[in-house]
Amino acid sequence: MSNAFSTTTADRPAENAVELVGITKRFGAFTANENVNLTVRRGEIHAIIGENGAGKTTLMNILFGLLQPDEGKIRIDGQDVVFGDPAAAISAGLGMVHQHFKLVPSLSVAENIFLGMEIVNNGLIDHAAQIEKTRELSERVGLKVDPTERVSLVSVGIEQRIEILKVLVRGARTIILDEPTAVLTPQESRELFQTLRRFVADGMTVIFISHHLEEVMEVSDTVTVLRNGKHVATRPTAELTKADLVRMMVGRDVSFDRRPREATHGKVVLDVRNLWARDERRLPALRDVSFTVRAGEIVGIAGVAGNGQTELAEVLAGLRPASHGEAFLNGRDLTRLSPAAIRKTGFAHVPGDRMIRGVDGGASISSNLLMGRQYRAPWSRGGLLDWKATDRDAEAMIKRFDIRARGPHDTVKRLSGGNIQKVVLAREFTNDADFLLIDQPTRGVDIGAQEAIHSEIMSQRAAGRAVLVISVQLDELLTLADRILVLFNGHLMGEVDGNEADDETIGMMMAGLQPGEKERELVS
Amino acid sequence: MSDRLRAFYGQAIAVLLALAIGAVIIVLVDESPVKVFMTLLRGAFGDQTKIAGTLLQTTPILICGVAACVGLRGGMFNVGIEGQLFLGGFAAALVGFALPLPPGLHMIVALIVAVLAGAAWVSIPAYFRTRYNTNEVVSTILSNYVAVLLTSYFTIFLFKRPGGWSETPPILPSAYLPELFSFSRLNWGLVVGLVLAVVVAWLFRHTARGYSASMVGSAPKFAEYGGIDVKRQGFIVLLASGAIGGLAGGVETLGVHHRFMEGFAPGFGFDGLIAALLANGSPIGTIFTALFFGALRSGSLLLEVDTNASREIITVIQALIILSVSAQVLMKRRGDSTAGERRWKF
Repeated sequence: MSNAFSTTTADRPAENAVELVGITKRFGAFTANENVNLTVRRGEIHAIIGENGAGKTTLMNILFGLLQPDEGKIRIDGQDVVFGDPAAAISAGLGMVHQHFKLVPSLSVAENIFLGMEIVNNGLIDHAAQIEKTRELSERVGLKVDPTERVSLVSVGIEQRIEILKVLVRGARTIILDEPTAVLTPQESRELFQTLRRFVADGMTVIFISHHLEEVMEVSDTVTVLRNGKHVATRPTAELTKADLVRMMVGRDVSFDRRPREATHGKVVLDVRNLWARDERRLPALRDVSFTVRAGEIVGIAGVAGNGQTELAEVLAGLRPASHGEAFLNGRDLTRLSPAAIRKTGFAHVPGDRMIRGVDGGASISSNLLMGRQYRAPWSRGGLLDWKATDRDAEAMIKRFDIRARGPHDTVKRLSGGNIQKVVLAREFTNDADFLLIDQPTRGVDIGAQEAIHSEIMSQRAAGRAVLVISVQLDELLTLADRILVLFNGHLMGEVDGNEADDETIGMMMAGLQPGEKERELVS
Repeated sequence: MSDRLRAFYGQAIAVLLALAIGAVIIVLVDESPVKVFMTLLRGAFGDQTKIAGTLLQTTPILICGVAACVGLRGGMFNVGIEGQLFLGGFAAALVGFALPLPPGLHMIVALIVAVLAGAAWVSIPAYFRTRYNTNEVVSTILSNYVAVLLTSYFTIFLFKRPGGWSETPPILPSAYLPELFSFSRLNWGLVVGLVLAVVVAWLFRHTARGYSASMVGSAPKFAEYGGIDVKRQGFIVLLASGAIGGLAGGVETLGVHHRFMEGFAPGFGFDGLIAALLANGSPIGTIFTALFFGALRSGSLLLEVDTNASREIITVIQALIILSVSAQVLMKRRGDSTAGERRWKF
């Protein structure tokens, strides 16, 4: 890295793998990127951070040919290029691993990797060659996969490896990863980082978008910060602290220390007893789960995504049948009630899958905030809706929850992810429910808004509500929860007091180990 | 608003594309598309009798279209409107000739019975949908055949008018829907249809029930999560849709034919469904799309007289419209799905 600033000469490859110069992209009156410059040197891990709507995704979509810039130039390896579509970007040596994987579950690992570029022999797919090549590549780059396994049977971590292999098979020399660790355990994340370091040691270049500042500090060589569509800074990571990053992203100081709280001794509101449930494949996903949540208490459920959290949330909300056990809310067994009846017992729910469960994307903010209240005054009287009152109410919510929108008639799907989440929170937090089930409160929400959402959750606690927070972000639970329960493979591994919890203990339990077991057993 | 405008342009392009391909087919049968389209226009809107004729054809398409709108908005694809129309038409005729009542009241009772007949007929697929999650598209399509044949059976074997035709005795004049003009059979049915379209649009927009139903239609998982009884709502929506389908039959019987006969209103149920699809499930939009299909039907009467093209050309054009509208729906879905992937990135 000492020669990082030397000039490019004709006989050496260009110093910079990617250069974006003066990129501007407008959507109508909205400017997503304004004169953004990004220079990524060959052989570095370059992190791009910024709040929601800061323009990270737009910028990466422009680089990958999914969007065309209104102004500005793209240079790859020092050559001016114009990418009409992703295919052009791929043939220039770029590869993108999307946040949500695009794999065919019914096909094998090798078939997925070679999808669209199958090795053909006499007009037939040469499966043996595909499997052989997959195995060879997987060994060479150290991403272990079983080429013949069906994708529907592999874990999320493996799916990500497959996505990376897909990109490599297509000849990528620069890999763009969008929020790569969102679905991984701390251990899996560490393995991923090792892989990325090996890639750059081999002369490849990695661009990665992240929300987790710790990761950015840990793995990246250089950081670029975007704010409101503009380039704020590009600096070597070593010169920065986490606080610096937050300040550059948000424009002010933000704290994620544990929230101060008074001890409370409320009555038991939710009482879950020996709950079992199955997943879509009819396999047990919740195994004998029992716990309680008291009024004025926040209980956190930690765990790697896919260890039963979704099933737990759905069973409590009445969206999935329990195969055994009970869950009492205010004395009524939720497992025997319909979602509509559960709502009436005093149940508010922020779903993990907000685009499908949480909102009707095609409808307005007003209309989304109306859900569940359409039969109640002041939103309706005598079965007739009062849209004026509903709009006024929506305007108040937009203000209170700082939803960035033009007004109550804005279509929800046009909002950014964080703002859509705020619409859901606004509706559920103002329902006067005794119990709040909050699944991934801040998934995909920017740092400033995360702080605001955490404050809202704390004020629900202060108002005497029983709150169950399910989150894959451990730091979030450490900030919020009075008690943390860890789910692993459908079992509750144990309970940790929020005041005494630490990453290490919970991390072990998330990996299925009881605290106190030895580290080397992790390897086996 | 811009979304609605975009939807409108999309549908307009679908229709224009269908007309353009239709023109090519007309050229292939050695006829001038200009002449054919002008004849269609003249046949549909040439003078006041022809305009009234067009509106007469529009009426059942409009009412069936509103029936389809109720289903579409509520997330139920009722393809059985044709059958509900036949049942409603027969039921109205039965009341009309067999149950003498004072004028006016007679007509209203006959229409109510038609509505009930339509609702009763759709309640079978609706029950299976709610109880066993049977696909309502398949069961309502199948129920059409049963309805058409069942009413034929009733007509021929139980209530046949003495004489040669397969039709019921004529209904009593006390049950007639009054005609609007002296020069045409155009009747109050059109007004019923227009009012119904406006009322249904209002119900969806301004009532709590309408809101719940349309949420089940546009985002079923969200509706379920939000505490709406999705199954019950689906049942009610199908029932309402079928009831309106029955009303369409009653209006046709009491306003136009004054009896029930075999094959008395062929294809109106399907035309109504297409009109509703073309209007994106909007009852107000259906007023215009129904008028379009009514004009095609009525204009085509002149087609074989004045040109070498067959009347069937309008069936071809309708089919082309269905194709281009469905193609558009598919394309929109594709666009939406990539938007969905992008929504999750920040």
